[in-house]
Amino acid sequence: MKILVCIKQVPDMESRFRPNGDKTWYDESDLAFRMNEYDEYAVEQAVQLKEQLGGEPEITVLSIGPERTVEAIKKALAMGGDRAVHIRDDRYYQKDPWQIASMIASYAKGEGFDLIFTGMQSQDRGSAQVGVIVAELLGIACATTLVGFSYDGGTITAKRELEGGIKGVAKLKLPALVTCQLGLNTPRYPTLPNIMKAKKKEIASLTPAELSGEAELTATAAIYPPAKKGGGLVLEGEIGIQVDRLMGILKEKTAVLR
Amino acid sequence: MKALLIGEYRQGKLLDTTYELKAFADRLGADSVMLLVGSDADLPKYEGRLYLADAGKYGEYNPDLHKQLVLQAVEKENPDCIVFVHSSYGWDLAPRVAVALKAGQVSEIVALNDGAYEVNACNAKLRRTVTPKGGLAPSGACPLAVLTIQAGAFSPSGEPQGAPQLERLELSGTASAIEFVGYEAAEQKGVDLSKAEIIVSAGRGVGKKDNVPVIAALASALGGELGASRPVVDAGWVDHSHQVGTTGQTVSPKLYVACGISGAIQHLAGMKKADFIVAINKDKDAPIGEIADVLVVADVMQFVPAFTAKCAR
Amino acid sequence: MFLELTEEQKLIQETARNFARSVLEPLAPKLDREGDHPAFLANLKKLAELGFMGLNVQGEYGGSEAGVVAFSVAMTEIARACASTAVTVSVNNMVCEVIQAIGSQEQKEKYIPRICSGAYAAGSFALTETGAGSDPAGMTTTAVLDGDSWVLNGSKIFITSAPYAGVFVVWAVTDKEAPKGKGISCFLVEQGTPGLVIGKQEEKTGQHASATNELVFDNCRIPKDALMGKLNDGFRIAVAELGGGRIGIGSLALGIGLAAMDYATRYSTERVQFGQKISSFQATQWKIADSYTELEAARLLLMNAAFRKESGRPFAKEASMAKLFATEAANRACYNAVQMLGGYGYTADFPVERYARDVRITSIYEGTSEIQRVIIAREILKNIG
Repeated sequence: MKILVCIKQVPDMESRFRPNGDKTWYDESDLAFRMNEYDEYAVEQAVQLKEQLGGEPEITVLSIGPERTVEAIKKALAMGGDRAVHIRDDRYYQKDPWQIASMIASYAKGEGFDLIFTGMQSQDRGSAQVGVIVAELLGIACATTLVGFSYDGGTITAKRELEGGIKGVAKLKLPALVTCQLGLNTPRYPTLPNIMKAKKKEIASLTPAELSGEAELTATAAIYPPAKKGGGLVLEGEIGIQVDRLMGILKEKTAVLR
Repeated sequence: MKALLIGEYRQGKLLDTTYELKAFADRLGADSVMLLVGSDADLPKYEGRLYLADAGKYGEYNPDLHKQLVLQAVEKENPDCIVFVHSSYGWDLAPRVAVALKAGQVSEIVALNDGAYEVNACNAKLRRTVTPKGGLAPSGACPLAVLTIQAGAFSPSGEPQGAPQLERLELSGTASAIEFVGYEAAEQKGVDLSKAEIIVSAGRGVGKKDNVPVIAALASALGGELGASRPVVDAGWVDHSHQVGTTGQTVSPKLYVACGISGAIQHLAGMKKADFIVAINKDKDAPIGEIADVLVVADVMQFVPAFTAKCAR
Repeated sequence: MFLELTEEQKLIQETARNFARSVLEPLAPKLDREGDHPAFLANLKKLAELGFMGLNVQGEYGGSEAGVVAFSVAMTEIARACASTAVTVSVNNMVCEVIQAIGSQEQKEKYIPRICSGAYAAGSFALTETGAGSDPAGMTTTAVLDGDSWVLNGSKIFITSAPYAGVFVVWAVTDKEAPKGKGISCFLVEQGTPGLVIGKQEEKTGQHASATNELVFDNCRIPKDALMGKLNDGFRIAVAELGGGRIGIGSLALGIGLAAMDYATRYSTERVQFGQKISSFQATQWKIADSYTELEAARLLLMNAAFRKESGRPFAKEASMAKLFATEAANRACYNAVQMLGGYGYTADFPVERYARDVRITSIYEGTSEIQRVIIAREILKNIG
């Protein structure tokens, strides 16, 4: 079995974000980058499946991004990936989900992957499109938002998270692509020996020019901080004073405290 | 401009979010037609043409077949945009339609901003305006685009009215790569937050499981219920039945107190209809501050015990 | 010159940070106040399984082969969350390294994997005695060959991890007639050996979860092949290995100092006095500026010492400089942090008082600041005249 896991490196979401010079993306200069959280679930599920199948499947990790992306790739390899493909692209952020997906599909087309794992979305862009588009371009089955995954004899049983805590269960036959949601599993910490061993694993490097990517279908016109909602009162200062003021406001403005 | 709206139907019922699609079309100033894979037994109140396919035949979740049904309606109507709710149904189906039509997709639109679609980035710490390539959308003639709208972002202004003109859709075959097996109910342990007048919720900012009783104590001092954000539930600090948000319960209490909740959009969607929102957060810039009536900038574990003591007095 | 961590070092730092934040930090206040020995040991086991007990140890003995720089950054991240756990990890690494450096093949194969895998919760380093602290060559514990055994008599104090260590590296006098420091040898003593008595546990100011005990050798009989390294060559080894330990303790102190300043700095942006955030006062800003500057200098000194050791170059002077500066800087940072929190900083409701207690020992153990200065001056002066 050949497995592909698509990962993205994103900024730590606790960071402060500000627009870059031409206001089309965020300024990356002061940000710390890590693997997209949803993609960690994807890597973990791929590795668990490899373990379930006695180590037979080969896991390829794919990521698109600049030089720094190698760190996220190495983490995926340290978690249990076998080899990696790094599509080096400094202008990745100018590409829309359709272009990103077309690059992945262009690579994957000739490789004959049986199963592809992706995160359900990236934490920075949050479009939730790339996985599904890759599946459609490859013409393989796809289910999104998995919080449960099991595999038996060529069939995946996917538990999808729906609204209101309900789950929907569906079966897909390989080849297939699934997108992974928070709660699917608990991603492992890469062990130190595995981090060091990952150094020896192959990371093939490709450029966008070597892939038949598509032209963009959407464009970011501008990026900016959200407008502050007026009217909200901000209480700062001493705890004791904050307590008294909040109590006063609640008595005045709500019917629940008298 | 014409919008094709894709309604939602689950477990034998039309979902209310369907009406948000019409509200969005109205905001766009677009004419609309609707498509629903549902049933005659629960039709939307809608003034206009409704393409109806039988969920009994084509499934409630079968994106392969639903995609073909949408494409049929597109062929008949030639719309400028196809609009989904950004939900487990919409984000799953929309990109499939977009690829089939080679149309650009804009995901999770939260607002219309000066003639462009506005979406969140980086946990709602930034906003982006996105335009389908070459388009003047949403004001003028635009290229075909697939849009998903954030649940709750476009509320219907009044009670939906009207009876749709039905037009039925059929497919010649029902072969699909996906076999839907069934639903699993949410685990419910008897906490019905939807009826609570006061909810005090714990978020990641409470720090650890041992601190949750401090939040629960405020809830009980106010005579309310304990709520929780998703990270707190996922960490096992609070049972899922207390979860507020898109994957938990949607609530509309008279008073909502968010303790150490930064305000991930999934959480906001579940509680922003509360009459009065108090947020207690160390981070003055936390997104919860956007919708809070009062933001108390303080450490939750210092402020809440002091406030609870005050309430008890 | 390139002052960036490698990708592997960054990943090790990230793993250490994530584990420390999610597993160690939530437990640290409880370990400090009431203790939870089973939970403490369970976390050591998890750290062993992740490869943190033998960072600079070869793979064939179960080590991670990650190097000294990785050891330093990992120690800092662990200590940010829990100094007691960090000191145990530091000592375990040193025990593995000394066995790797001078142990026989059998000794390496027997003991190192047990520490690296967590089969032993800890290894222990038994050098200090009541009359031999800063002057370890003044030790009086003796080892006498009797047939096929060595017989140990005497006592040691301030022995980290003694109650739960699987093996002790023990220094003892084997030639009383030799000049000072020339008649000391090094032994491996297993926990449970008859005659090895774990004595009184010290009640310390900080680092409460890490046990610190007296060790008593009462006719403690160990096999002849428990001798590690050459006979009467033990003191030189102790001195050499303490250099590596100093990088560990300096890195640990840096972690505590950063934790304290990070907390106090955030607090200063929330706390309001005289109608404004205290971070807007220059008195606060200078503390922030001074402490972070010193901690950054400490980090660079530590990186330099670690890099020299990793490159196989002499590093004793650099390790002492880094240990001296980092531990003193971290003490000042914790002092400033308490000051910035005012009265709250002196209460158990805030973590900075724990940081201030935990950090105090760092300028004492693994060689006091005074001894570091002696070493630094000696290393400088020996090349002159």
